[in-house]
Amino acid sequence: MELLALQHYLVVGAILFGLGLIGFMTRRNLIVMFLCTELMFQGVAINLIAFSRYWADFRGQTFTIMLLVIAAAEASLALGMVVLLFRQKGTLDAEAWRELRG
Amino acid sequence: MGSELLISLNTLMAITLPAATPGTVMHPLLVLVLCLAAGIGTVLTLPGKRETSWAKIGGVIALATGVIFAALLAHHLADVGRGGMGPYFWIFSFLAVFGAFRVVTHRRPVYSALYFVLTVMASAGLFVLLWAEFMAAALVVIYAGAILVTYVFVIMLASQAQTPAPGGKSNMGSLSAVTDYDTVSRDPLVASLIGFALMGMLLFVILDQSAGAIPPTVTPPKITDHYDSSVQELGRYLMTDQLVNLELAGLILTIAMMGAIIISRRRIVSTESGPVLLETEQAEVIAAMGIEQTGGSDPDSIPVYGTDNAAVKAYPER
Repeated sequence: MELLALQHYLVVGAILFGLGLIGFMTRRNLIVMFLCTELMFQGVAINLIAFSRYWADFRGQTFTIMLLVIAAAEASLALGMVVLLFRQKGTLDAEAWRELRG
Repeated sequence: MGSELLISLNTLMAITLPAATPGTVMHPLLVLVLCLAAGIGTVLTLPGKRETSWAKIGGVIALATGVIFAALLAHHLADVGRGGMGPYFWIFSFLAVFGAFRVVTHRRPVYSALYFVLTVMASAGLFVLLWAEFMAAALVVIYAGAILVTYVFVIMLASQAQTPAPGGKSNMGSLSAVTDYDTVSRDPLVASLIGFALMGMLLFVILDQSAGAIPPTVTPPKITDHYDSSVQELGRYLMTDQLVNLELAGLILTIAMMGAIIISRRRIVSTESGPVLLETEQAEVIAAMGIEQTGGSDPDSIPVYGTDNAAVKAYPER
């Protein structure tokens, strides 16, 4: 059983990461911005699992478990903050918080 | 115990992923041109004030670029990439990238979230191909199950409370309402330039085999016909070697849960008739009624439970 090369998976991870970065910079909806960070997490997770397979040990998968934990914590905190911000301004537009630029 | 574990790991993951043979380098100029084309397609597809036909053209350009890139990749890595898992890899990776593209470019947040579910499912499929069955299941349960439900819930909460602009085309309380900040993106050109520059650099480094891929130091023995599930091995590994990290993960989750509860709490005022939930729009009403507020936007004013002072009690006993 012949398998695919490591490079295939790294390419998919890189593409997901790049698309997530673009989305985080362009979209103005706070929720979609956080979805795009989750997309970047996905790209990193694919890389880690591919390396775990490549080196034939479980350290990469352990990293991925930690990544999932951090992603879940980030999602809960970020969504809590989004709800808070939404209650303050009544909109999800990131531009509504321009004054935080200083 | 340690050597036993190592042996079982080795027999389990006996076939490592082969690195591509050196000498088959995709030309950097080619990668650059493809990234440029994909960038133009993405800029056209990102929500903006232009007509929808341009978005369709941009989508076609991006799709064509992706197909060309995939074909080139398959061609250049053909000597290692023609195997039993091949078709599944291409299907799953196409779905993942397509879903990611739609997450970024779709104007409606609910659809973005649903396309993200597609991406999560596809990458779970990729994980199965990489013999990480537990991670695939965890990804589906945690991402598609828990995190995405929370996202969709918040999106629905927000779009239901959104008041439509007078004369706007958004209809009241509907999930299909498109708001202004979703239809106009912020600096699509600059962001796509930066994003695709980064992506191009990454792809170039990944596909540049002249630098020499690092061979795995593990030289696993030939795989035997005995193949246990990798879930079992992963569980053993986590519970023996990574126990502290596992407990740390639980601690992080607990702290995050407490933080989320404290951040998104509602303000509650105590009256003679009982506790009253203070909505933002009710603030003036409450102030006009002359009721003393116990909680404000001040973080120090989190209601303290179990105190004798009635003024700071959120839920005073009747």
